Amino acid sequence: MMRRASTLALATSVSTLPCFFLAASAYAADWLEFRGPGGRGIAPTETIRTTWSEDDGISWRADLPGKGASSPIVVGDLVVVTASSGPRQDRLHVLACDRATGDLRWQRTFWATGRTLCHPTSAVAAGTPASDGTRIVALFSSCDLFALDRDGRLLWQRNLAVEHPRSGNDVGMGTSPRIIDGTVVVQIDCQGDAFAVGIDAVTGSDRWTVPRQKIAGWSTPLAIELPEHGACVALQNPNGLELRRARDGVLVWSWKGDCSGIPMTTEAGGMLYVPNDGLAAVTPTTAEAAPAWRSTKLACGIASPLAWGDAVATINRAGVLTVATRSDGELRGQVRLAGSFWASPLLVGESVVAVNKEGATFLVSIAGEPKVTTENQLPGTFTATPAIADGSLYLRSETTLWKIAPP
Amino acid sequence: MRPYETIAIAGMACSLAADALASAAKPPQSVEQAVAVATALARTEGIQVQPGLASQAGLASQAGLASQADALAGIPAEWIVPCLDALRDATPGGANWLRSGLERAVDRVGDALPAGRLADVVRDAARPPRARGLAYSWLKTRQPQLAWSLLDAMLGDPALELRREAVDKLLASAPDADESLQRDIHRRALAAARDIDQIERIAGWLAEHGEPVDLAATLGFMRRWLVSPAFDNKQGVGFAKAYPPESPAPDTTGWKQVGSTDKHGVIDLNAAIATEKGVLAYALATVEMPQAGPAEVRIGSPCAVQVWVNGEPVMQHEIYHASEAIDQYVATADFRAGSNTVLVKCCQNEQTEAWAADWKFQLRICDRLGTPLATQRDSR
Repeated sequence: MMRRASTLALATSVSTLPCFFLAASAYAADWLEFRGPGGRGIAPTETIRTTWSEDDGISWRADLPGKGASSPIVVGDLVVVTASSGPRQDRLHVLACDRATGDLRWQRTFWATGRTLCHPTSAVAAGTPASDGTRIVALFSSCDLFALDRDGRLLWQRNLAVEHPRSGNDVGMGTSPRIIDGTVVVQIDCQGDAFAVGIDAVTGSDRWTVPRQKIAGWSTPLAIELPEHGACVALQNPNGLELRRARDGVLVWSWKGDCSGIPMTTEAGGMLYVPNDGLAAVTPTTAEAAPAWRSTKLACGIASPLAWGDAVATINRAGVLTVATRSDGELRGQVRLAGSFWASPLLVGESVVAVNKEGATFLVSIAGEPKVTTENQLPGTFTATPAIADGSLYLRSETTLWKIAPP
Repeated sequence: MRPYETIAIAGMACSLAADALASAAKPPQSVEQAVAVATALARTEGIQVQPGLASQAGLASQAGLASQADALAGIPAEWIVPCLDALRDATPGGANWLRSGLERAVDRVGDALPAGRLADVVRDAARPPRARGLAYSWLKTRQPQLAWSLLDAMLGDPALELRREAVDKLLASAPDADESLQRDIHRRALAAARDIDQIERIAGWLAEHGEPVDLAATLGFMRRWLVSPAFDNKQGVGFAKAYPPESPAPDTTGWKQVGSTDKHGVIDLNAAIATEKGVLAYALATVEMPQAGPAEVRIGSPCAVQVWVNGEPVMQHEIYHASEAIDQYVATADFRAGSNTVLVKCCQNEQTEAWAADWKFQLRICDRLGTPLATQRDSR
């Protein structure tokens, strides 16, 4: 199942070390959830290789047992990813590859208990797993949520479509779970039984559950810390945004305004950057928050926006990357990238990394006017957002996981 | 059971199973104990934890289930196959608990897993389909030739995934055959196949070789309907409103006879009535069933739908324009031998996007495998 590239360069010679020691000490950085630390897509201290191809600069590649659009996550010595297979895509896979070699460490397969119809562009394995470093939670479009330990032992499961029989979406659910303050937050936005739930990450039991508007959505929750409320979660649907305390689900703030149904809100410096027909900057403190600014030039398409330093960046449906000033939305520059973008961009060092559906990864310098510095092609269809850890870039096509070697 | 209890064993008959689950994660000491643990795991109901209640109960239950799965993960190779039968009557979540434990055991024992006993499970059509499918998948990775050889007898298998593999095997033999035999192979494959994609692939081959297939008939779609005039559904108000056609003996005066020529039996209400938004219509079909009993009503529609069989409600889905598929919604209904009526309420909303223009449905009546059961003489 796993193939190692001929140019394989193992990062370390640690194969004789016990796994627990390896997990604790061999790697400086993990990438534990959709869009990495805090879900912001920001990795300013990382440095990655600038050029690679199918035959060059690859640490390893792993063929996956099925289809998926979920991102890999990096947990200690494991790279964890999900997939689904079967004529009805009702076999759900969670698998862990060795971070150094790509060898399969374990694979768990479950039967879907909810609906598995899905638009061909998406997948039943569209939600990115999340981890607190100890547990791994994986959510599928069937609304099945599994928690496993790092040895692949099932700790608990929630068959949310059994508990909420009209939940799910035949286009496919795209949301990813978050682990915030010990609570696994799952947002199920659909026309049927829409709800959000906070689940104790240890026990698998409910901490809270709240009904939501019956409207389809594919956004992923965002963790945000508020001084007066502590760890909170932002839940977005096309009609607005709300913040709830992660530990008990208490609503602490809401904003009624047009929001996109797919790309998620991001945050920087206490300001929320909300995708709608462009991008709106909203302060999540006042009851009737008017946007500090709104710009239709910052349309997001499918990909979620980035916010860092004094900049924000978006990629629209036409593949145009736009960078603006974070404080006022003033346009700084644009560059047209080729192809269509389902994966969200990441900020790595002083570059935006953007992967198009056709397998091209663009590194765009944003030090001044945005400018494509390199474009690297891999075969396959890429709708998953990449992961980055310790200088390695992890790219996932529909059926293959690639580790791009560090520089 | 208290509402926050997190484990409920389906059926009090399995006291041995309940005892097994209640005990700590002691490794089973016998195959009987292993089967009891497997049965208990497989029949575990989903958790029902109310907000704010009993996180300790949640801890006890899920952790208890995990430890029982641990116990199964440690059983000897020869106990694994008997535990597969616990998938009979498994709950959705329970089946996954059981699988998680058994697959860890399978990973651990490697090639010690007895291939002959796995093959016996695969062959035995009386065993649970999931047990047979799982046994087949394990056998396939260990002794692929043996697994492959089992498929010859499975063209009519009640386990869909095995039947699919058998059809694929039959089709794989076609390229080496002469044209006459190739046709015969594809005809046999078409008769055996139940998965839509497989049927379409086979039908495509036959059409390319001069034997067009009436797909709608093969798949059993009801193609002749009486369609009502449009009723109001602005702002979705009509979905829950019982218009006169929902009465026990609806008056169908003024309804229009509509026949589908679509290969998937689609009834296009935009064409039958008018391209309208914020409306709904009823469609009535008379279907003939060979015998009385339950059957699956399978409907696909991008619109909100409700279905009645002989005046009894069967299903309702208030979902608008979130994809569409053959057999999108499935529910079981009781039919009489002979004539039965099927009434569909198909609701269109007021979305203005081009992709939300469709107002249509397709319906067939099948057994649980997808074998068409109903026929039609006419729409009255």
